[in-house]
Amino acid sequence: MEDKKTIRIALTKGRLEKDTVNLFEKIGYDVSQLKNKGRRLVLEIPGSGIEVVLAKAADVITYVEHGVCDVGVVGKDTIDEHGGRFFEIFDLGFGKCRFALAGKKGENFYEGCQVKTIATKYPNITRRFFQAKAMDIDIVKIEGSVELAPLLGLSNGIIDIVETGTTLKENGLEVYEYVSDISARVIVNPVSMKLKKNSIEQLVSKMKNQL
Amino acid sequence: MKSYDLITPEGTRDLLFEECKVRKETEDILRDIFTSHGYSEVITPALEFYDVFNNKTRTYSQEEMYKLTDGKGRLLVLRPDSTMPVVRIAATRLKDSAFPLKLFCAQNIYRCNPKMAGRDDEIMQSGIEIIGGEQKRSDIEALSLAAQVLNCCSSGDVRLEIGDIAFYDLIIRQLNISEDEEITVRSLVSSKNTHELTRHLDRILGAERENSKYAEMLLRLPTLFGGAEVFPKAQKLFQGTELEQRLSELKETFDTLCTLQADDRITVDLGLVSMWEYYTGIVFRGYIEEYGQSVISGGRYDTLVGNFTKEDMPAIGFAANLTAIVDAKLRKNAYKKISRADILVYADDNSLIKGMKYCSELISKGYKTEFSSCSAQEEAADYAKAAGIKELHIISSENEETLKIML
Repeated sequence: MEDKKTIRIALTKGRLEKDTVNLFEKIGYDVSQLKNKGRRLVLEIPGSGIEVVLAKAADVITYVEHGVCDVGVVGKDTIDEHGGRFFEIFDLGFGKCRFALAGKKGENFYEGCQVKTIATKYPNITRRFFQAKAMDIDIVKIEGSVELAPLLGLSNGIIDIVETGTTLKENGLEVYEYVSDISARVIVNPVSMKLKKNSIEQLVSKMKNQL
Repeated sequence: MKSYDLITPEGTRDLLFEECKVRKETEDILRDIFTSHGYSEVITPALEFYDVFNNKTRTYSQEEMYKLTDGKGRLLVLRPDSTMPVVRIAATRLKDSAFPLKLFCAQNIYRCNPKMAGRDDEIMQSGIEIIGGEQKRSDIEALSLAAQVLNCCSSGDVRLEIGDIAFYDLIIRQLNISEDEEITVRSLVSSKNTHELTRHLDRILGAERENSKYAEMLLRLPTLFGGAEVFPKAQKLFQGTELEQRLSELKETFDTLCTLQADDRITVDLGLVSMWEYYTGIVFRGYIEEYGQSVISGGRYDTLVGNFTKEDMPAIGFAANLTAIVDAKLRKNAYKKISRADILVYADDNSLIKGMKYCSELISKGYKTEFSSCSAQEEAADYAKAAGIKELHIISSENEETLKIML
């Protein structure tokens, strides 16, 4: 009885979506709808009992937390920033990058006793990182290219996602310190995990086998 | 100054008509279950001293409580749960009464949640506490009551899940992990994050991780959930350790519960840990398919009473989240739209006394009857139509007989 239950899975739009769809294709699912999705937001994988929803990263967490989606694929950066009540059961290994503290090349960030200003898109992660160091800091939330802030003199440094470091280098910035590792994770609603255990475990083990 | 006089604070809401009805009905169903089993109701104040919720066993974080001060500047909170106040009563006004105490309580609790996340700050809870009862009997009773409550909450798929935080606690005691690290480990176990748990243990335990039987158990713990098939798996893993005893006790409780209830609704999760709760032994949660988080949560809290009396006492309890359950019922349209009244009575200016008497007469015959507050008969007719009232009765000084109009 349990195995017939449909699983609704929320994918983070963009790169994680593409990587996950490729993974589904390797499993042998019919991903034609996912590849030619047009403007539709709810898609089906025929014959698999899986429904796919496309959403922005933070919304993936919201949908899974409320149980309107059973499973989600979302970056660790979003999980760390937003938190929430769900199971994080699996590291997909793709979408790899790192959080780093960066600033102008050659400067010593920790020098002096003045309160430092940090520009970031991730205020919660930033707060926690410096709280663990018992440092008071001013956080300025930036929506776009965070790298601008230290260049214009708005902040002493930034906390942001670093992949290759090219953007930093081209703007005369460097990584001072790594904060944490990021990759795509599978999250599951706690009630779905219990009520749809078999279906979810089957899906996850199929995904694991293809990695 | 900006005025907020037209809205309610975030996380709170007004309940209207059907919402009230479903809420009250559900509340009554639970009240019936509890009173018919010999439980006595208590009501505690919404305002409590901060100290009641801030003790050795359980500290609520500052962020999750609504706080204010009294006239003397002492810190008060809106109660974030009902168990602590009930235990406070047990330790004070009821300390000389016959134990075990069986109490229940149906009231709002208040939590300061992150905003814009669609969570309720005012949550209606209904639940029981058994204080001072023998463990095995109390466990079975609390669980079977929880199962009964759960069955009344949903017409769909439900699960009552049991676990015991002793498994985690016994394992962690055998591993060389600092207090700070333990909090991280605990939250990783709680979120079933086995991949990061492996990495984390590798880092803090080094070679011990590979060789330690207990590290192996800890890593497997989050995956040990499901039906009866979990027990043999766990048995193999726990063999020869002190966890075996606890496992066979839990198995016994599980089997008893399966015999009492429909057994496919009872499941087990050995990876349940106590994140910030006061639980000391068996813990359980209830799930319904219509709601994305647990709707029942409870467990054994043998060290909580000691915070108030200096002497520990076995205790167990649970609470059902009525706000969530009612929400789920309403969303499923599992309710009937209620009509306000069967009959509207309109009396003209000279017949008010006659009209009022006529109303009482109809009411005593069992009709829901509304006395019209409109000033004219046409107005009353329009009002009845708009309100969905099927009959309009006219009392006038000109006619001896009551004029009955079907709408």
